[in-house]
Amino acid sequence: MPIDRLADMEEKLRILEDLNMIYIRQIALSLKDSDIQKKIDYEIRMREGACKLLAACSQRDQALEASKSLLTCNARIMAYMSELQRMKEAQVMQRVARRSSDAGPMDDRSPCKGKVAISDLRIPLMWKDTEYFKNKGELHRCAVFCLLQLGGEIFDTDMVMVDRTLTDICFDNTIVFNEAAPGFELRVELYSCCSEDDCSAGSTPRKLASKLSSSLGRSAGKKMRASLEPGACSPTSNGGGATILLPVPSVPGPKYHLLAHTTLNLSHVQDSFRTHDLTITGNEECSYWLPLYGSVCCRLAAQPHCMTQQMMSGCLRVKLGGEPQGWTNVYGVLKGTNLFCYHQKEDMEANVEPVLTIGINKETRIRAAEKDPQSKAQNICITNQYGGEEVTHTLSADSREDTQRWMEAFWQQFYDMSQWRQCCDDLMKIELPSPRKPAIVTPKQGSLYHEMVIDTSDDIGTVTDILTRRMEEFELRTQLGSPPHWMSLFEEDPPRSPLNHQRLPPRSPSPHLHGRPPRSPRLLSSNASLTSDSDSPSSISPCFRQAWSPDSSSSLSSRFRPRTLSLDAKLSTLRGRGYGGYRCSCQPPVAGSVSPRPAQTGLSCSSSTSSSSSSEGSNSQESELGFSRPSNARRSLRNLRAKLDPRNWLQSQV
Amino acid sequence: MSFIPGQPVTAVVQRIEILKLRDGDNLILGFSIGGGIDQDPSQNPFSEDKADKGIYVTRVSEGGPAEVAGLRVGDKIMQVNGWDMTMVTHDQARKRLTKKKEDVVRLLISRKSLEEVVRQSMMQR
Repeated sequence: MPIDRLADMEEKLRILEDLNMIYIRQIALSLKDSDIQKKIDYEIRMREGACKLLAACSQRDQALEASKSLLTCNARIMAYMSELQRMKEAQVMQRVARRSSDAGPMDDRSPCKGKVAISDLRIPLMWKDTEYFKNKGELHRCAVFCLLQLGGEIFDTDMVMVDRTLTDICFDNTIVFNEAAPGFELRVELYSCCSEDDCSAGSTPRKLASKLSSSLGRSAGKKMRASLEPGACSPTSNGGGATILLPVPSVPGPKYHLLAHTTLNLSHVQDSFRTHDLTITGNEECSYWLPLYGSVCCRLAAQPHCMTQQMMSGCLRVKLGGEPQGWTNVYGVLKGTNLFCYHQKEDMEANVEPVLTIGINKETRIRAAEKDPQSKAQNICITNQYGGEEVTHTLSADSREDTQRWMEAFWQQFYDMSQWRQCCDDLMKIELPSPRKPAIVTPKQGSLYHEMVIDTSDDIGTVTDILTRRMEEFELRTQLGSPPHWMSLFEEDPPRSPLNHQRLPPRSPSPHLHGRPPRSPRLLSSNASLTSDSDSPSSISPCFRQAWSPDSSSSLSSRFRPRTLSLDAKLSTLRGRGYGGYRCSCQPPVAGSVSPRPAQTGLSCSSSTSSSSSSEGSNSQESELGFSRPSNARRSLRNLRAKLDPRNWLQSQV
Repeated sequence: MSFIPGQPVTAVVQRIEILKLRDGDNLILGFSIGGGIDQDPSQNPFSEDKADKGIYVTRVSEGGPAEVAGLRVGDKIMQVNGWDMTMVTHDQARKRLTKKKEDVVRLLISRKSLEEVVRQSMMQR
């Protein structure tokens, strides 16, 4: 009974997971650190949500996004758990050390932390010429994203779809890590997942599946074979390297694999772009393979806190000019590579220019001078080299403790600068990531002709499949899922209907998308003469609606061919996006949207031409919108909806 | 009412009981729904939180059973006959509403105006 054993295993895994969680919680409790525990709990809930979403969603790109968040959650959980372990170990070590009265060095300086930002990641690709010229198969596409880890913080970039039309993988995100020590290690990992329809069973549209079963190109066949062998390519699965400690629930759906990784540290920090090497895991046989050039370009900037924050401030007296006895009271602020001296504290807040600016950098020498005979406090002499000259400033604090504190601050500053090295020469700019802007949809592919190969014998299915795929691609590129301009073909909302109205020719037989009733179902039969551009909004939509009713497909195929040429022109002239929602109706736009079913009613009217149902169709436009729903039409409608399924906001009538 | 995945949800809800109208072989409720965890939430015109993947009422047909029962456009459906509707796909939601064996659906819906009313009445006290 293998099924029983599988269930048994799953049961055991679940028990193990629960035990792990109890163990982790115990550790967190004993450390009296509820912060990490809260974070772990949060990530686990996110993970459960992602698993649920993954199991439920039907669209590929949503599954990819859910899988990506699953991987990120897992990585974060692992990071938190290892941090907990470390803290626990440190606590134990401390107790041991205390017992053995181990006297460490007295002033164990720790450098200040800083912000590290990585932005404008770009990974060049190196496609072989065979990809372009000999490969007539489908576009090999992968979904990729980067996982960036520094210390305990893990961030992921947005997902990018990559195919052979791209020369580089670009990630636009700027990731800022806030508490990084100078000895940081920023690990950059590139995950990819093959995103072809034939790799996942069950989601293939019927027609494509039948085509594929008969013939597979060479590259597609290799990929199929590779995908069928589960362990061939990489040992890492969805969990991103889950150990026995916390077995990851395996969910069906797209799995990301580690494609390449690299580690960056302080020596790679620079205020401009630099190229770093990538270590590539995986080989050409893997389904998730992409031909990487082998390097990654990015801008890695760091802002140590000693450069951005005030390290020390207080009242000082400084000898200005040449007078031996002239002490001027100033308010000194140590920040970055300068000691700013203002007349008073309020000046600094008011951004007035400082009276005196003393540079504090690697060349500066600071020493405490002999006791001034007047005051008990020691003087601080700061010597700099300006040009060839040595300039010495003498400062004095109010009391000995103050002097001590200033000296301490200076030593700390020097230490920080020695640790952060090149970051302290000048302040590097870090742009905070701006709130998400809607990305502009720019079709990256060539013209539609590349993909719109329509045979005479093909029916609507192929076109709808192709357009669906393009819709999906466009959707993936935009953040907010705004449909491309030609999606407005399928939409009708009140602000746009006047536009459509204007664009319609004064042709009575084709009253589609008019703002006014009555909508005669006969519109389907009147599309024979569509040549002008202005027909575009109207011409496409009935085709798609016609696609739903299986009986009228034959009448359409002949009509479809002359429309191909104008299709491209029309699609390229449309602009803007409508209110969203895949509203497919041949009815006037109502306040909400019309469900597909009344349209179906209208359609089946056309084939049956029964006057009663046609009047029902027109009735439904005005008032109750379809109280009758033929059930067989509903079933085929559901199939077609599943096929067409663009990533829009579906509405259904109940 | 914002929804944080993993946290329990608190909402002010109204109970609405819709008696399905029999029309031949079909049972009609008289409204349309939109949304679902497999849909794109940013295109929902009724949701306050554009990441909310719940089921919303997008249209109520005039004089239909839903309007008579008090359902309004923009309501978010939380439960149907006891089944949760905050974490379902679009098709699952539709199925739960259109079960042939059920003549009546009892919905729990939440509405922004409801919360306002409750809050105001609590403040007045």
